[in-house]
Amino acid sequence: MARLGNLERDVMEQVWAAGAPVTVREVHEALAKDRDLAYTTVMTVLDRLAKKNVVRRVRDGRAYRYEAVATKDQMVADLMREVLDGAGDGADRTAALVRFVGQATPEEAAALREALSMFEDDETSSRPRRG
Amino acid sequence: MTPVILGLLALLLAGPVPVLLARAQWPHRVPRAAIVLWQALALAAVLAALGAGLSLGSELILQPELGPLEIALYTLVTVLTCVVAGRLFWATVKVAVRTRARRRRHRELVDLLARHLPATGVAGVSVPNIRVLAERTPLAYCLPGVRGSRVVVSEGALERLRPEELAGVLTHELAHVRARHDLVVEAFTALREAFPSFVRLRMPLEQNQLLIEMLADDAARRRVGAAPVARALVTLATASAPAGGLAAAANGTLLPRVRRLAEPASPHRLLSAVTYLTAAAIVTVPTVTVALPWLIRLADALA
Repeated sequence: MARLGNLERDVMEQVWAAGAPVTVREVHEALAKDRDLAYTTVMTVLDRLAKKNVVRRVRDGRAYRYEAVATKDQMVADLMREVLDGAGDGADRTAALVRFVGQATPEEAAALREALSMFEDDETSSRPRRG
Repeated sequence: MTPVILGLLALLLAGPVPVLLARAQWPHRVPRAAIVLWQALALAAVLAALGAGLSLGSELILQPELGPLEIALYTLVTVLTCVVAGRLFWATVKVAVRTRARRRRHRELVDLLARHLPATGVAGVSVPNIRVLAERTPLAYCLPGVRGSRVVVSEGALERLRPEELAGVLTHELAHVRARHDLVVEAFTALREAFPSFVRLRMPLEQNQLLIEMLADDAARRRVGAAPVARALVTLATASAPAGGLAAAANGTLLPRVRRLAEPASPHRLLSAVTYLTAAAIVTVPTVTVALPWLIRLADALA
């Protein structure tokens, strides 16, 4: 299971790197260079990725090609939006994830820094703050 | 008498009691007991409301001579009670399904997009399944689950937090994952969704969200001390949102958490015991003194 997860990541990297829709063969050739990997395994993985809606199949003559539904940066940004949204006061709040801390408003931030001075005083060593 | 007593109890437990409890400061000293008290309150309120409706409906059986108006009224109340029970059940299922679907999707994406860290030796805390997202905004969260829980931090958080602060954050998240704090939040989310918006209370859900954070803060404080946890909290809360990001909503949980960390940690055993006892009493006393006699009478009438 864990190996298949790693393989999914490797396959996904290939799909993102290609920039254009890729065939199973192209992904297989790129990945089989440095490991023993069956063509059908790559096919299975791409199928799984399609089921997870991170790649989509596009028809190219008699074959299928696969492309990522979004760039990696875009997908990270979408994920981040969900994380930041989830901590908000939205109507669709769910307990899908539990965030360490929400974002403070400017007023809250000022009050928080002030509250933090209660700790800074009794700190034995004053190390430089990294910013 | 039974419907009146249970009805009044339900109104009391659904209205003024949560309002007062949400305002009180003492629950923050005993977060675990306070969560149990909130759960007992919610359970007792639901049971009292359902009991009030059904006991009034049971008059149809217990009272042989009823006028047509009374029959119509009692039938209506019984139907309404069943609707409320149905809505509670449906909301619970809906929230559970929705939460798990969103969480699974999120976990799949995190596994694909994030760097995987070895389970051992991140800032001295061993956390299984840490994922690091290539994102400059410092943030940390967890995706709970029976299997496949994840603790996610951003590269920005790794960069900005000192080792003991990071250890505090990871211990905090691990406490959420291990104790399944999300189930507390999920139950109160379902309870809130079961009622139409004009009678919804914000406090039970909000207070329990705050209390689980305080519980996890305590776990982190025990590991690294209060100051690093407080500094990590402020660092992550005041970090700039990404471009085009969302305006922060004041959630009011930040200051209470930091101020609480500034106070010395003490177990408050007596307060804790009294809170647990109160929680037990809220559920059992009305059940034994009011609901049980009614059920016995009902059983006798049916026999």
